[in-house]
Amino acid sequence: MIGILDYVWLVPLAPVLCFVIAGFFGKKTPQGGGYIAIAGALIAFIIAALASYDYFTSDYYANNIAYTVEMEWMAVGEFSINFGVYIDTLSCIMMLFASFISTLIFIYSIGYMDDQGVKKTRYYAEVSLFLTGMLGLAVSSNYLEMFVFWEVMGLCSYLLIGFWSFTHPEGDEAAFRASSAAKKAFLVTRLGDVCLMAGLFVLLHLFGSLDYADIFNFDIATVDSNMLMVAILLMFAGVVGKSAQFPLHDWLPDAMAGPTTVSALIHAATMVKAGIYLVARSYPIFIHCTDAMIIVAVIGGVTAIYTASMALNNMNIKRVLAYSTLSQLGYMVLALGAGAYLMSLGIEEGEPELMLLGGAGYAAGIFHMINHAFFKALLFLCSGSVIHAVGTEDMRMMGGLRTKMPITAYTMLIGSLSIAGIPILSGFWSKDLVLEAAFAPFHHGLGAGSIFMVLFILGMITAFMTAFYMFRMWFMTFCGEPRGHCHGESPKPMTVPLCILAVFAVISGLFVVFDGSYYILESLRTTIDTVIPFHTGMEIVEEIFTAIPTYVALVLAVVGIGIAWKLYVKTPYDAEAFKPENHGALYNFNAKRHYFPELYNWISWKFGAGVAKGVNALDVHVIDGTVNGLSNAVVGGGEGLSAVQTGYVRDYAGLVAVGVISILAVFCLIFLYGGGF
Amino acid sequence: MAEIFDSLATTLVDTFKEATFVLPELIVLIAALIAPLVFYLTKNGKIVAAVSFALIAVSALVTMLLMHTVTYGVAASMFEFDAFSSLMMLLFMAVAFLTIMVSPCHVETTKHAGEYYALICAIVAGMMFAASAANLLAIFISVEVVSISSYALVALKKNDPRASEAAVKYLIIGAFSTALTLFGMSMIFGVTGTLDIAEISAIVPTMAANWAFIVGCIGMIAGYGFKIAAVPFHSWAPDVYEGASTPVSGFLATASKKMGFAVLFKIFFALFIIGSTGVFTLEFQYVFAIIAAITMTVGNVVAISQSNIKRMLAYSSVAQAGYIMIALAVMSQYATTGALFHMFTHVVMKGGAFIIVAALITAGLGEKIEDYKGLAKRAPLVAAAMMLFLFSLAGIPPLAGFTSKFVLFSGAIFVNGAVSMQWMWLALIAVLNSAISLYYYARVVKAMYIEKPACEDKVSVPKPFMVAILLCVIGVIVLGVYPEYLIDLCSKAATALWLL
Repeated sequence: MIGILDYVWLVPLAPVLCFVIAGFFGKKTPQGGGYIAIAGALIAFIIAALASYDYFTSDYYANNIAYTVEMEWMAVGEFSINFGVYIDTLSCIMMLFASFISTLIFIYSIGYMDDQGVKKTRYYAEVSLFLTGMLGLAVSSNYLEMFVFWEVMGLCSYLLIGFWSFTHPEGDEAAFRASSAAKKAFLVTRLGDVCLMAGLFVLLHLFGSLDYADIFNFDIATVDSNMLMVAILLMFAGVVGKSAQFPLHDWLPDAMAGPTTVSALIHAATMVKAGIYLVARSYPIFIHCTDAMIIVAVIGGVTAIYTASMALNNMNIKRVLAYSTLSQLGYMVLALGAGAYLMSLGIEEGEPELMLLGGAGYAAGIFHMINHAFFKALLFLCSGSVIHAVGTEDMRMMGGLRTKMPITAYTMLIGSLSIAGIPILSGFWSKDLVLEAAFAPFHHGLGAGSIFMVLFILGMITAFMTAFYMFRMWFMTFCGEPRGHCHGESPKPMTVPLCILAVFAVISGLFVVFDGSYYILESLRTTIDTVIPFHTGMEIVEEIFTAIPTYVALVLAVVGIGIAWKLYVKTPYDAEAFKPENHGALYNFNAKRHYFPELYNWISWKFGAGVAKGVNALDVHVIDGTVNGLSNAVVGGGEGLSAVQTGYVRDYAGLVAVGVISILAVFCLIFLYGGGF
Repeated sequence: MAEIFDSLATTLVDTFKEATFVLPELIVLIAALIAPLVFYLTKNGKIVAAVSFALIAVSALVTMLLMHTVTYGVAASMFEFDAFSSLMMLLFMAVAFLTIMVSPCHVETTKHAGEYYALICAIVAGMMFAASAANLLAIFISVEVVSISSYALVALKKNDPRASEAAVKYLIIGAFSTALTLFGMSMIFGVTGTLDIAEISAIVPTMAANWAFIVGCIGMIAGYGFKIAAVPFHSWAPDVYEGASTPVSGFLATASKKMGFAVLFKIFFALFIIGSTGVFTLEFQYVFAIIAAITMTVGNVVAISQSNIKRMLAYSSVAQAGYIMIALAVMSQYATTGALFHMFTHVVMKGGAFIIVAALITAGLGEKIEDYKGLAKRAPLVAAAMMLFLFSLAGIPPLAGFTSKFVLFSGAIFVNGAVSMQWMWLALIAVLNSAISLYYYARVVKAMYIEKPACEDKVSVPKPFMVAILLCVIGVIVLGVYPEYLIDLCSKAATALWLL
């Protein structure tokens, strides 16, 4: 104990102060406040690191309890809503990787955003606030507080995705795209948020509190299980929106319209990870609803393969990465869903083996989230470096960049190998654990085993697709003949973060060897009474290397890379081959994102606007019409006044009468329904 | 410090005796009376504004002093100065402050400054009387003072035919509402034989169920339903808000409606809760719940298709009235606390939005949403403030609108200290509605931040507007992040309603 834990609230406070400072005084400082934002993120990281160290050496950790400090935010009568911090292993992991990666991204921004002039101030202020949202979410002590930060992030993503909405470096059309992407991101995730909010109300109804400590210690057997399922599904709908799961996935690829650094922030460190965090955080209640967990796992598995398929033929370097994020998020949700399913059955039947597997699934989901944060941040920043050098996002205009920008090329290669699941890089470990978790229910002959078997196979195919599209991207960008001009390697502030992230993309997977799953499971130990068994690092290593699926996945990944090499390196580049008309219906269907944007539009226009117009017409013509007519008659005067006037007065009086009578009728109905006199 | 306040309050009570408890109203009334005189003597609208402003400030200080020292009491056995009425008075005066602050430099404001400020002060005094009235007749007369002055205030924008049309419409609809109210009250009087609210609340539980009582209640619901613009009595609101000069629209949207709620709370809580054994309570709760659900839905859905920002804000006001009506359905102290708190946050966010619209009209922009295109470039601070107000209205944390909506909606779940299933559906409809509302608020934000402006000139907004906007921004943020103090006051006010 060094006492820093009591100051852990400084973690979200540091960036928010930087938001204020950068916002008001940023213009007067070098880089438009960039250094202030970096300082904020760095301070947040240092405090987070010290506080985590403090937590792990404290009595709280030793006794399996979370460090909680709360103060009253608002109170009505006996009911009060608190504001506070809740620190356990999960919070520590979240704040550490979010602040660390954000620091690197902010440093990178110094180089990437250098030419943005006065707009930089706005950028640095907003990213600081964005980081505040994520860190606040990580340390929140209750669901409402978490929701506040959840929405702060939503707001910032709106502003940042629309960053180039007035003047885009690529012209007006791109600016328009940016603006509609921002709106889409905001409204689509908001749809999920509404469900989450409704879910929180149901939770409040069930538990009488929104504090983690209260809810997780509640005797859940006394809770109405149907309502609990409603609450869980509504909360998961929030996750589907925020973490862009099927069918609300479509905003994330569009969100590429913002600066690449923002994409890196959204995809690696913040925003989409918030949904995963919510699932992990809510595990103590999620595991009481086995059926809902199957739905969670299915959504995850479907998202994984569905979005991976869209990445197969995309030409935009950032979009390929966006789809890969979606697909990897699907993996995480799959692992968490499968883990919760196993754990719930395990606890129900008192079966330590199933609990062990469930714990492994939980650990796999979290673990993949951490690893993904590193390699995806790396990949996005690399793509930003490429875009910075060639001035386009279209991979058809790249090629042969390997010699011109070697640091970018080879760091990106590390990221690609990692995400493709090549041993011993980080992606290999966590992806294998994810697939193992999906395989376990079938392996143990559980009720929904066949569903999970399908999900496992989908996961395997996704692994193959991932390897293919990542290397398709790498080969198209860095190999072959140059097809466009290039400014050469990016400046130091950009390449140094790349190198640091590359190191982590290699080694972060080794966490598992050093008993990583034990530490990850620590946060469950603080909230679930049952002791969840775990595998030590060496047991996991042994298990991974003795299981057949590991080798199958590995072979699939290598084959994927091989096919990409055959198609995009061995075969000479042919511009004709990339024209839509030279492809079949399936190719174009895929390129059109399975018509999902059209579907969204159709729903919102036909349905939303239609209803609104209909109600408006009713309001204007029927209700206003009578009133307007009445007042025109009075004000206008002149011929036929009396006739018109009487007519309209009668109409209007009729309307009032209808209102009054309908109240009376409603009253009578309720009254009679209740039994009459 | 506390002693000084105490001795001041004692001095006041010693000096004015019973009249202390209507002193705040009387001061505002004096402002209403001398405003035309000041204008006649000086011919300067700004001085009239300053005088009214100063007198209302004095009145607010007196109110706060009395509140702080808990010097509550009854004047003329008709006007009760308690935690509830004093809080509502502060709300009305806060709105009056904002309105008077921006009026002198607003272009739509008439040259008849004497009448203009006199009417505003008369309305505020009427509202304050209505909030403290403890007698149906007193309530009726106070509300009529407000109504009649409001018709004139709307009509005062003489050069605009829309304003005349709106005023006439307002007058006719208002007359209907008055008639219905009076009819309802006479029924209640016929049944109970008294007009005193406390006495009525004592008689109601003892009497046999009868239809005259029901008709009386429905008459009052319909009558005051006009005031709060509940569907289907809302049709005047968009026209009046569009036609009136914008500070007046803001004033009516934020203050006049709140008076309707204050009166409804007073009457209906007295009829159904206090000492009641529950004659028809459940039935009327459901009537209110259904009106609330319909009101918020119609308000939000119709707002989507509006192209005039004032009309959009008007429909959004209708929707907000629906939210506040949750308290009437649930009839609990918790929900009432939430409703009162939401009224305050509504003042800063909706009032702020109307002030911005007024400021932009003064600066030469139109009232259409498309006129706001690219505002973020032309007036970055104003656009940012507008965005805050709109997001707060949509209920996005950590802004005031979120906090108050949360307390209000959770009031539908926590009923009298225990979780209840009964009004869960209402809370869910409300959550769904606030999601719909985001759509049209986001449209304005999109226009301001994302669409290209027709011209790139900077928009310059007069200083008083900026001050008022800034005050509202502070309100929106502070009430969102630190709501504790105000919630405490609202909670006390709600308790006071129960002790009537």
